Amino acid sequence: MMSPEMSEGRFEALAETYGGEIARWPEGEREAARALLAAQPERLSAVLDAAAHLDRLLDLAPAQSVDAALLGRLIAAAPPAPNTAGRWIAGLGAALGLSAAAFAGVLAGVAVGGHALPVAAPAAATQMANGRVETVTAVDMSNDLQDAIEEPAEL
Amino acid sequence: MASDGNDPDEALLAGVGRGDPSAVRTLLDRRLPRILALSRRMLNDPGEAEDVAQETFLRAWKQARAWKPGGARFDTWLHRVALNLCYDRLRRRREIATDAPPEQVDTGPAPDAGLLGAELSRRVEAALAALPSRQREAIVLCHHQGLGNIEAAGLMEISVEALESLLARGRRTLKASLADLRGAG
Repeated sequence: MMSPEMSEGRFEALAETYGGEIARWPEGEREAARALLAAQPERLSAVLDAAAHLDRLLDLAPAQSVDAALLGRLIAAAPPAPNTAGRWIAGLGAALGLSAAAFAGVLAGVAVGGHALPVAAPAAATQMANGRVETVTAVDMSNDLQDAIEEPAEL
Repeated sequence: MASDGNDPDEALLAGVGRGDPSAVRTLLDRRLPRILALSRRMLNDPGEAEDVAQETFLRAWKQARAWKPGGARFDTWLHRVALNLCYDRLRRRREIATDAPPEQVDTGPAPDAGLLGAELSRRVEAALAALPSRQREAIVLCHHQGLGNIEAAGLMEISVEALESLLARGRRTLKASLADLRGAG
């Protein structure tokens, strides 16, 4: 099967846009680009080399290694495994047709002589890298963050 | 942007939601360096990059139990949250800059032409930081984060053509500002 044709201008534009590795170009244009390169190796290799030089320079822009303290803070803030009591409450509550939170509230109400306790979302204070302390709610089932990510304002 | 049902992080995220410590650790090993690198290159500030990475994962932990399989890929979601946090900080910087103009970043050649690795790295970082933020974002997403053009354009909420224009303009500017480094890299 013949490869779709590509002009030299498009080849150069793609190198200027996506760099010197054809494997990183849009998938639908790679085959045509390779065919054109095979037809004009000398001239188009020079185009790729020039773009690859900038790629190599870009690779020198520092990333950042993960600090052990950051890793520790994130591990500590991860959701905890439900404890045995929590699982027992959830199981018994389910058997009675109540949610775990509602059943826990019933049990707490019994424990304090008939006054139900408010059920609060657990919170954790987290130290930021710059020393600030921010409080985050560890579990917040009501927020659907997949749908509610804040959009950045136009810069 | 819906995933194709092959999100490599989905099972790990479910483990995080169940409070499985090994899932937490594996997910962090896999994704934290990427998000930290993205934030660093967008903000050019290690402390702020760490804050953004931390906040991004704290939001992920909140989301873990309610994650909807088949929606956005988790890696894409992380990128979007981190980018939004970066933009919040860049916007704040811009507001502060109207009161006190920041020091100009010197992207020109150093007096000594024989640049060492660290100095070369600083030059490239400064040139990247000097780009308009949308051009920088396009280059960081496509070159450094290795995202495909459709995914990067989706994250930036622009067309692929607009992404290509940002990439080409950004790379042209970088090529000019780093032209004296022809023998390096």
